[in-house]
Parts: sequence; structure tokens; C-alpha cells
Amino acid sequence: MTRALRSALLAVALGASPAVVLAQWLDYRTPGIPRTESGAPDLKAPAPRTRDGKPDFSGMWFANVPAKDYCKEKDCIQEERMAREQINLGIKLEGGLPYTDWSKEQMTKRRAHGGRDDPHTYCMPPNFPRAWTLPQYIKVIQTPTEMVLLHEFNAAYREIFIDGRALPENPNPTWNGYSSAHWEGDTLVIETNGIRDDMWLDIQGSPVTESARVTERLKRVNFGIMQVEIAVNDPKAYTRPWSVTVEMATQVDTTMLEEICLDDEQDVKLYK
Amino acid sequence: MNSRPLTLLMLVGASVASAPPARAHHSQSEFDLRAKIEVDGTVTKLEWKSPHGRLYVDVKNEKGEVESWNFELPSPNTLMRRGWTRDTLKTGDRVKVAGAPARNFPTIAIATSIKDANDKPLFTGTTQIYEPEAEPKGAE
Repeated sequence: MTRALRSALLAVALGASPAVVLAQWLDYRTPGIPRTESGAPDLKAPAPRTRDGKPDFSGMWFANVPAKDYCKEKDCIQEERMAREQINLGIKLEGGLPYTDWSKEQMTKRRAHGGRDDPHTYCMPPNFPRAWTLPQYIKVIQTPTEMVLLHEFNAAYREIFIDGRALPENPNPTWNGYSSAHWEGDTLVIETNGIRDDMWLDIQGSPVTESARVTERLKRVNFGIMQVEIAVNDPKAYTRPWSVTVEMATQVDTTMLEEICLDDEQDVKLYK
Repeated sequence: MNSRPLTLLMLVGASVASAPPARAHHSQSEFDLRAKIEVDGTVTKLEWKSPHGRLYVDVKNEKGEVESWNFELPSPNTLMRRGWTRDTLKTGDRVKVAGAPARNFPTIAIATSIKDANDKPLFTGTTQIYEPEAEPKGAE
């Protein structure tokens, strides 16, 4: 039997249409997830649990933005979904984020330059917590002692240790800092320090600095939804601690697709 | 085949009734999101790269000269999730593209709408404006 014939028979056996075959793994059915009688993912099913009884956050996630809100015109093609927090992480906070004068000064300069100074514009890594709101998928790989986040943008990763280690003292700053997590009931509480002094939290340039302690509380509400509460205590950039919650929707029957920004970045030259 | 001449229509400064474009991972102040250009031309290349796909279109201007336009698209991963492949548009395909022009480059724009020669929509931009607020809000 030829390889082509074997592939064709396999496609028929899997119930795959030619379009699915052409789409490579874009529509590959995720095994082992709760489904309704129709075969659709059961997004309201209880949150899955690991063998040791903890909530299991494993899977792919994207900001929970209803697609229908963005497709109102006749003949509308499905539009890209974006989290509004991507522009302003504090958009849902009354009065906005409590910027210090230093922060306001930074943001005035950043605004004057358009997007030219945004590290993301020139393809720097998808730094957390900003990375939760970016328009790429995040994949969670969870073990009893570690959570790994894979991010499509620049094929990046972040490690979160769940092994009781203390945060480093006087750390060498990095893009994602150093993260150690513990469980509080069904909530995974991630503490992070060691973030670089020049990081942006959103498109409008809200800062986060080396003085920051960031606490993320992950809660899997059900199979379909994960809530990420982002609490920032950064006395250099903010007059008081604040927190916002970003909702993430699980992405199933699909796959991660790399987005290597440096491949063909052409926007920087447009900010003349 | 449609025999209408290839055209370029500039509507700079016009009020944009349709959605402004937005797909970037950063501010889009490099584009004039309040302006709109529309072209009717021939695809010379679909660049399938990150962070933005690019559609190059040859367009005949009012003087009869051919201009090569560069339209910014979403990244290939986003395009794939919207049903595109690198073969969705091929060299020689006739397209009608609307977009917002770059502020400082005359033949670069960000695409908001792409239709084929039969006016079938192939792509629509999103409805959000990815611009920072005029002034940072924030309580002391």
C-alpha cells in the first residue's frame, strides 16, 4: 500500500475531511476531555483534577473574549478576538491604575513615541503578567511540583515552581522574574519577584518595575474557564497595591502555532 | 473576468464608518486609523511570516502608473485560525483591499477588508482601536 493511500484511508477512518487534512493539526480532536452528547467540548463540566486531587490547569488558554461581539457587519468574516486589558490592564478598575508621578512621566514619554518604545513592538519576549492578555495561545503543562507556561509569541516559556522554594533575595532581574507557587484550597497562588525595571504591562505603557511583587491567583472555575487575578504591589510605579482579574477560555480541538516575531518585523521603521 | 480598470481610491480624512483595523500586539499609531484607502489590484505576493502576514498588491493609480502596495495582515497563526492558508491568495489573483494608511509611507497600509474579484469577503479587521488613552488615567 502506498503511503498516500494509507494516509487517505487513515483520514477516512478518522472522519477527517480534506480540509482537516489540509489544516494539518489545527482541528485535531483533543482526547480525554469532557464532551456533550453532540461531541462538542462540555465547557460547563467541572474543572478536571490531577491524581493528587489538585485542580488541573493543563491545556491551552486564550483571553475569554466572545467572538460574536466583534462581528456585527453583514458578510463579516470572523474577526480576531482581543482582550481589552491588552491596551490598559486596569481598564475595568474604577479610576484606572494608581500611577505614581514617576509612572505618569514614563507613560507621557512612551505615548509621545507611539508604539516605538514598546518592547513588544520590537519583538522582545511576552513578559508576564502582560502575556496573559496578548493575542496568542498559552499552554499550561502542570506537574505536582512545577507549572510550565508555553507562549506562542516567540515560542517562549515561563517556569512556576510548586516545590516550596523561597523567592530569591536580590535577584538578577529577568523578563518574567522568579515564580514560586503554593496552593490555597483550589487556588494556585503564584508569587513573583525579580522582574526587570523597564517592563510594560500593556500597550499604553503602564509600567512594572524591579520593585514589584506580583501575585497571581489561578482558579479553574470549570472546564472552560480559568480566572487569573493579577495583584501588583510596586511602590515605584503605583501609589498603592491593586489587582485585576483576567478571564481565560480553554482552547480545545486545536494546536499551538508558533509566532516568531523577529522573522519579519517591519513596524518599527514605520514610527518615523 | 471583470474588465473594470484597476483603481486606487484615497479617502484620506474621511470619517470611517466601518471598523478601524486592529490586530497588533502594540500601539498602531504608525497608521492613520481615521483615514481609509481602498484599492482594486492584483496580488503579487502573500508573505506568510510573523509577526504580520503581508499582502503585496499592484495597483494602477490615476496617472496610469503601477504602485506596489504593502498591506499588513495578522500573523500567520491568527490567519490560520480564521481559515486562511498560505495559498488563500496567489500571485495574479484580483482583490479589493481596504485599509488604513501608514502615516509616513505612501504605499503601506494595514488591511481592514479584503474581497475577491466577485466581492466575496476574505478578511475583516476587528472593531477595537489599539491606541493608548489620550492621558493616563489613574488616581493618586
